[in-house]
Amino acid sequence: MSHSKILFGGPPGAGKTTAISAASDIALLDNAAVDHGTITLDDGNTLHLYGTPGQARFDFMWEQLTEGAIALILLIDNSQPDALGQLHFHLGAFSHFIRSSAVAVGITHCDLGGGLRLGDYQAELQLAGFGCVPVFAVDPRSKRDVCLLIEAALSVLDPVPQA
Amino acid sequence: MTATTLRLCHSGMDNRALYAFEIFLSRVGPGACRIASEDAADVAFIDVDNDLGPYLLAGHRMLYPTRPLIVTSQAPGRQPDPLTIEVTKPVGLAAFSAALDKVRGLLPVADLADSLGLPDAADERGGPVDTIPDESAFEALRSPAPDPVSLLRRIDARMATLHVGSLPDADLDDPVARAGIYYAPEHFLQGLVARAISHAREIGRPVRIDDASGTALVLDPRKGQAWTARSPNALRALAQLPTRGTLHMARQAPDAAFPQGAGPRTLEGLEWDLALWASRGRLPQGTNVDHPIRLKSWPNLTRLAVPPEAMRIAGLWSRSSLSLRDTAHALGIPQRYVFAFYSACSALGHVEPTVTPPTAAAPRPPGPLLTLPSDGPMVQPPRGRFKRLLGKLLGPRPDDIAPD
Repeated sequence: MSHSKILFGGPPGAGKTTAISAASDIALLDNAAVDHGTITLDDGNTLHLYGTPGQARFDFMWEQLTEGAIALILLIDNSQPDALGQLHFHLGAFSHFIRSSAVAVGITHCDLGGGLRLGDYQAELQLAGFGCVPVFAVDPRSKRDVCLLIEAALSVLDPVPQA
Repeated sequence: MTATTLRLCHSGMDNRALYAFEIFLSRVGPGACRIASEDAADVAFIDVDNDLGPYLLAGHRMLYPTRPLIVTSQAPGRQPDPLTIEVTKPVGLAAFSAALDKVRGLLPVADLADSLGLPDAADERGGPVDTIPDESAFEALRSPAPDPVSLLRRIDARMATLHVGSLPDADLDDPVARAGIYYAPEHFLQGLVARAISHAREIGRPVRIDDASGTALVLDPRKGQAWTARSPNALRALAQLPTRGTLHMARQAPDAAFPQGAGPRTLEGLEWDLALWASRGRLPQGTNVDHPIRLKSWPNLTRLAVPPEAMRIAGLWSRSSLSLRDTAHALGIPQRYVFAFYSACSALGHVEPTVTPPTAAAPRPPGPLLTLPSDGPMVQPPRGRFKRLLGKLLGPRPDDIAPD
């Protein structure tokens, strides 16, 4: 059995805890320093989902959390006035990790407006040199949405089966 | 009208009922139709009054979404979709012949051509019969029901055909076989909707699309929304057949109400679905299968229908430029999965060619199919490490219709 680690990042209020809770097979612990959930696959392998503390003052933990992780799910709250700034900040903070793994970006709270479209985020990612990154509108309460985001990140990582 | 022999299958008849039915068919007209297997039929005949009728009707429609159906009933009026022709019981020769003529009008030209040259209708086996016996004479329709479990399994297994069709892999080096993988989007609802949206943007007003039954769609690019007055099944059937002048675009009056009972959906979702349904695993005409493809941007797959293997195809194209031919080969998947996804992405502008296409006869260079740019943003991980994770997060997803 294998265990793989997926990291959830993003600013406070973007929906990291909600997303991990929606996708996880187990209940999240209250008052835990770091959100942790798991997804047990049909073949018995397990995905471990870890949420990074959103506040910048905890950024010293982020690098530690990336150890052993295979992908980053970055959630950005589209209703915030500086959503693109938040995207830039977190891309910069995880830049080294992203370039050696994969990232998928989930845009939350799209129903609350904010004026930005998915194409705006995609353009920013291209300009920042991250290439064609999956950017989806997600409802962090939706297991389907969160799992599709994880699947997209894994698809970027390794789409071709081993011969 | 040309006496094209239609291949007709039936659902649920036993030998006795089938015998009577064949006698009836022989009276419909020389060469009008013949009994065929379910897989090879042009049209299916279903009695919806028996206990399993609605189930058989729904199942057949899911298995063969583009196939015309003739349904008989004592109380017609359901009109489930444009490809279903209702005939009132007791079914007379004239009514049945008229239904067959309607079927001929619904079939794509290629299918009609396939039907030509088939053997004549079933031999006569009895005396004059000018009506199909009513359900009371077709007790077999009640009893020898196809095993519902096996039918459900078949339905599940073939649900994916709704998005990618069932086209087998073609020999792409054979010009004749290669011709069969293309379709002309402009001949389908896909093309008409694309033109209508473009026109609506130019005039700054909503545009509607009418069919024979009235307003089918209202498109409003200002709001990015579409209102559909047809059921999902009816819309899919409409999208899968060439329009042949049966659909018309018109300006929506400023004070006109939206279609009754129509819920709005995104234009993006509508165009995506229409492209998948028209494509059915084929490519827009003019697409070069050896031309490297680049993914400009990921389609918003949480809000769109996800065809089979879409994630892996997108993942591959986001990392490297690869031709359609090589994509299917590299991923080990049917060509129709790649072609359908490409067609939908192309309709929304998510893909683009990267270099000048090679000449058709140019041999492909030896070596690995997948080449990554040396300065690409991602580091290539060990191959296959995560393959086992993919597709298992949500389980099988053959017909994953996303909420709009």
